[in-house]
Amino acid sequence: MRTDLRLAWLFIRGSNRQEWWRIALVVAGATCATGLASAAAVLASVRGQHSFSFAAGLLNQPGERSGAIVALLLLLVPVLGFLGQCARIGAVHRDRRMAVLRLAGAEPGRVRRIAALETGLACLLGSALATAGAVAVLTAVWERPTALAWAGIALVGVGVPLLGTAAGVLALHRVVASPLGWVRRTRTRSGRGPLLLFTGGLLLVDVAALGGVTGTSMNSRGAGSNAPLVVCAAVLAVGAGAVWLTGALSWLTGRLLAARTGSPAVLIAAERLRDDPWAAARIHAAVLLVTVIGTGFAGIRQALLTELENADDTHGFAADDSFYTTGLDLTAAAIAFGLVMVLVALAVGTAESVATRRRGLAAQVAAGVPRQVLARALLLETALPLAPAVLVAGLGGLVIGTVYSVLASGTVPYLSLLVPAGIYAACLLATALSLPLLHRSVRPAELRYT
Amino acid sequence: MSNRPAPLVAARDLVKSYGRTPALRGACLEVGEGEIVAVTGASGSGKSTLLHCLAGIVRPDGGTVTYDGKRVDLLPEDRLSELRRTDFGVMFQFGQLIPELTAVDNVALPLMLAGTARGTAQERAEEWLERFGVREQKDLRPGELSGGQEQRVALARALVTGPRVVFADEPTGALDSLAGEQVMTALVGAARASGAAVLLITHDATVAAYADREVRLRDGAVVGAEVPA
Repeated sequence: MRTDLRLAWLFIRGSNRQEWWRIALVVAGATCATGLASAAAVLASVRGQHSFSFAAGLLNQPGERSGAIVALLLLLVPVLGFLGQCARIGAVHRDRRMAVLRLAGAEPGRVRRIAALETGLACLLGSALATAGAVAVLTAVWERPTALAWAGIALVGVGVPLLGTAAGVLALHRVVASPLGWVRRTRTRSGRGPLLLFTGGLLLVDVAALGGVTGTSMNSRGAGSNAPLVVCAAVLAVGAGAVWLTGALSWLTGRLLAARTGSPAVLIAAERLRDDPWAAARIHAAVLLVTVIGTGFAGIRQALLTELENADDTHGFAADDSFYTTGLDLTAAAIAFGLVMVLVALAVGTAESVATRRRGLAAQVAAGVPRQVLARALLLETALPLAPAVLVAGLGGLVIGTVYSVLASGTVPYLSLLVPAGIYAACLLATALSLPLLHRSVRPAELRYT
Repeated sequence: MSNRPAPLVAARDLVKSYGRTPALRGACLEVGEGEIVAVTGASGSGKSTLLHCLAGIVRPDGGTVTYDGKRVDLLPEDRLSELRRTDFGVMFQFGQLIPELTAVDNVALPLMLAGTARGTAQERAEEWLERFGVREQKDLRPGELSGGQEQRVALARALVTGPRVVFADEPTGALDSLAGEQVMTALVGAARASGAAVLLITHDATVAAYADREVRLRDGAVVGAEVPA
C-alpha cells in the first residue's frame, strides 16, 4: 500500500497541464465538500437555543438550524456530481499510465488502486485546506467551541479523502487496462452501477442530514419532529427518481430517434444516448434536483415576499423582516451555488468526453464528416434527454411553489416557470463551452499526435 | 517517356514540419487515374504526413498539392471536408468508425451527409457490406467486430460514395496476415472495379506488392520508384 501511495504521489508530481487541471478541480470540489460538511457538522453539534452574532438570527433556534443543516448537506449533491465529473478529466493520460503500469507488471486491481489514490491525495489536499479554513472561522465566530464541534470537523476532514478514494475505486472497478494500451470498460447496460453509486451518495447525505437534524431539533423534552425524516426520505426518493428518470429518458430518446431520424447529427447523438444512457445521468439528476428546488423556491419566495409586504403586526411574523429576507437570500445563494457547481460539472463532463474521443473525432473529420455535424451532435446529446426531464422537474417545482402560494396568498407563481427555462438554457450554454475544444480536437492534424 | 496515366493527384516539393521536426523535405509524388501506388519507408520517414497533405488533412508548409488539376492546399477547410466526403475515401489503421453507430449506419453516414435519405443510404450501405462479406454484421457496432471485419466496414464506408481516390494509411497495420490479405483483396478489387486510384501507406512489403507502383520515402523525400514484380 505504501508503494502504491508513493507511486500515486509521483504521478501527481509529474502531472502535465491537463492533469493539473483535474487535480485543481478535484481539490476545489473536495474543498467545497469539506467546507459544506464541516459547517453542517458544527451546526449539528449545537444543542438547543444559541445566540449567533451573524445570519440575522437564522441559526439561533433548533428548527431553523435544522433547515440550514439540510440545505448545506443538499448542496453536497451537486458537489458530488462535480467531483465525479472532475475525476474523469485526463482519462486518456491516466489510461496510458495505467497501461504502462500493467506493462511493468502491476495487476489490474493494483493499477486501479493507484489511480484511485491519486484522486484521494487530491481530495486530501482540498480537505486540508477547507479544514484549516473551518478551524479559523470556528475560532473566530465561536468563543468556546464544543468538543462535538471539533470532532465533527475532524471526522469530515478525514472522511472526505477516504470517501474520494473509495469513490475512485468504485468508479474504476469495471475499467480493464491492458499492457498494450487498450483500456476498456466492461459494459453495464442495466445502469444499476451509476444508479447505486449516486443513490449511495444521496443516502449518505440523507443519513448525515437525519443525524444532524434529529440532534439539533430535539426539544427540551427529548422528542424529535418527524419533519426531518420526511424531508430526507423525499430527497432520497426524488434524487434516485431523478437519476432513473434521466437515464430512462436518455435511453428512450436515443432509441426513438435512432430508429427514425434522417439527420446525421441526431443519429450520432441518439446512438450515443442509446449506447450509454447513464453516462450523464448523475449530473443530469443534479440538474433536475436544482430545477425542482429552484422552481419551488422561486414560487415560495414570491409568495412569502408578498405576504411580508401585506403583513401587519397581528400576523405573528418576526419583528424584523431581515430574518425572512436574509433566509431567502441565503437560500437563493445556496441554490445559485448548486447551479454553478452543476453547470461547471456539465461543462467539464462534456469537455472530457470530447478530449477522450478526440482521435476518433479527428478521424471522422479527416474522413469528411463536417465539424458542424459533430458540434450539433454534441449539443443534442445534452439537449435531447434534458428537455423532457427539466420540464417534468420544473412542473414538480411549480407544484411545490403553487401549494405554498395558494395556501399563503391564493396566487399561482407562474413566473417561477422561468426558472426551468433559464436552467435549461444555462445547461446548453455550459455544454456549448466545450465547442471550442471540439473544434481544436477534431483538427485532422490531431491524428499526428494521438 | 512514361506510360503512366495523367496525374489525378500530384504533390510537388512538399515541405512540412511539426514544430522543429521536419516531416517532409521536398517530397514529390503523382498518382494517376485508377492507379494503385504504395508509399513505403521506415518509421518517421514522412509517409503518413505525405498522405495527410495529399488528402487535405494537413496543410503543407511549402510546395503544392493538386487534385484533378486544382490546388488542394489552398482550399478552405469546409471545401476540403466536402472533397473528402465526395471525391476522396479515407481509411486509417483504426478509429475511423463511430463507435456508437452500427456497421450499416457507419457506412451510410457519408451518404446521409450528402443528403441521401436514410433508408436509401442504408440499402446502398448494405450492398457494400455484402460485397465485402460483412453484411451479417450490419447491426453490430465497431467494438463488437473483429479487426478484419472492422476494416472491411471502414473500407465500405470509404468507397460508398464512389470516390476517385482512396487514401489508405496502414489499413492492415493492426491485422493478422489473413485478415490483412482479405482487406487488401477487397480494397484492390473494389478500386479496380470502380476505377478509383489508391494511395496506400504501408511498411509491409506484402501489402505494397498489391500496388502498381511503389514509392519509397526516406527522411521526408522520395528516394526511388519501382514497379513491384
